[in-house]
Amino acid sequence: MIDDPHFGFILAAYMAGFVVFSVLLLWIILDYKKQKQLLAMLEASGARRRSEGDKR
Amino acid sequence: MNLAFANPGRFLAFIRFAIPWLAACGAVITAIGFYAAFAYAPADYQQGETVRIMYIHVPSAWLSTACYGIMALSSIGTLVWRHPLADVSAKAIAPIGAAFTFLCLLTGSLWGKPMWGTWWVWDARLTSVLVLFLIYCGILALWNAYEDPARAGRSAAVMTLVGAINLPIVKFSVDWWNTLHQPASVFRMGGPTIDKSMLWPLLLVAIGITLVVLALHFAAMRNEILRRRVRTLSILAANHEMKGIVE
Repeated sequence: MIDDPHFGFILAAYMAGFVVFSVLLLWIILDYKKQKQLLAMLEASGARRRSEGDKR
Repeated sequence: MNLAFANPGRFLAFIRFAIPWLAACGAVITAIGFYAAFAYAPADYQQGETVRIMYIHVPSAWLSTACYGIMALSSIGTLVWRHPLADVSAKAIAPIGAAFTFLCLLTGSLWGKPMWGTWWVWDARLTSVLVLFLIYCGILALWNAYEDPARAGRSAAVMTLVGAINLPIVKFSVDWWNTLHQPASVFRMGGPTIDKSMLWPLLLVAIGITLVVLALHFAAMRNEILRRRVRTLSILAANHEMKGIVE
């Protein structure tokens, strides 16, 4: 397959797939970490939702 | 089922279990599919090795419309039933759908150049998929245009349902108009025209990537639920501070 005259196009298509998927995955993971961090900071400062306040 | 997961807390408990399983099963099936696509599936008698681009282009194309379908169903959930997770689902799937539509256009272009002799033609299939990508971009912009997620959700839901008219146009464009893009060869009346040796690796890759996309969708929904909790707590904290200042 490497000898194929269009090998560059095949490689580029799969590289594009890898890059697009990696960016998507990285964005979701980093967003999750960011939201968890913000939530932890708010909870540490004493902020509670009303529903959680009732439970206590 | 619909009501059982209406509670975000219960839904988070469910996806904590579902995400690793979906991702693992999806990754394994995708890996087997790609292995079969390169090791067992033959080269095409006309296109040669270039047909291997099909195993990434076609699943991306299917997912671009499937993600929009999920977004449209979620939008109905937002507008009709006011399901608390419907707009969370719609917002979470939008960037994933946009990414796969972009990938579909990009890999299609990389397939088109060696086979058609051009990167792009304004034929009905290519143009309708480009319109689909632009609709995704518009919906993403709309989500970011509002401060209140509930208002953004309703506006985005209306736009999503208006844009859903493009889905049958994408699907049937190759039948309704004379296009350079080939007609459907898998999901068509009379069964697939593609040879079995190429069909089963293609289906394996498509099923595997779909499972991975479901895992990504659930993970993005979890992020959105957390983002809304952060927003609520920030507002409560700000109100508390304001009350302290006034007193």
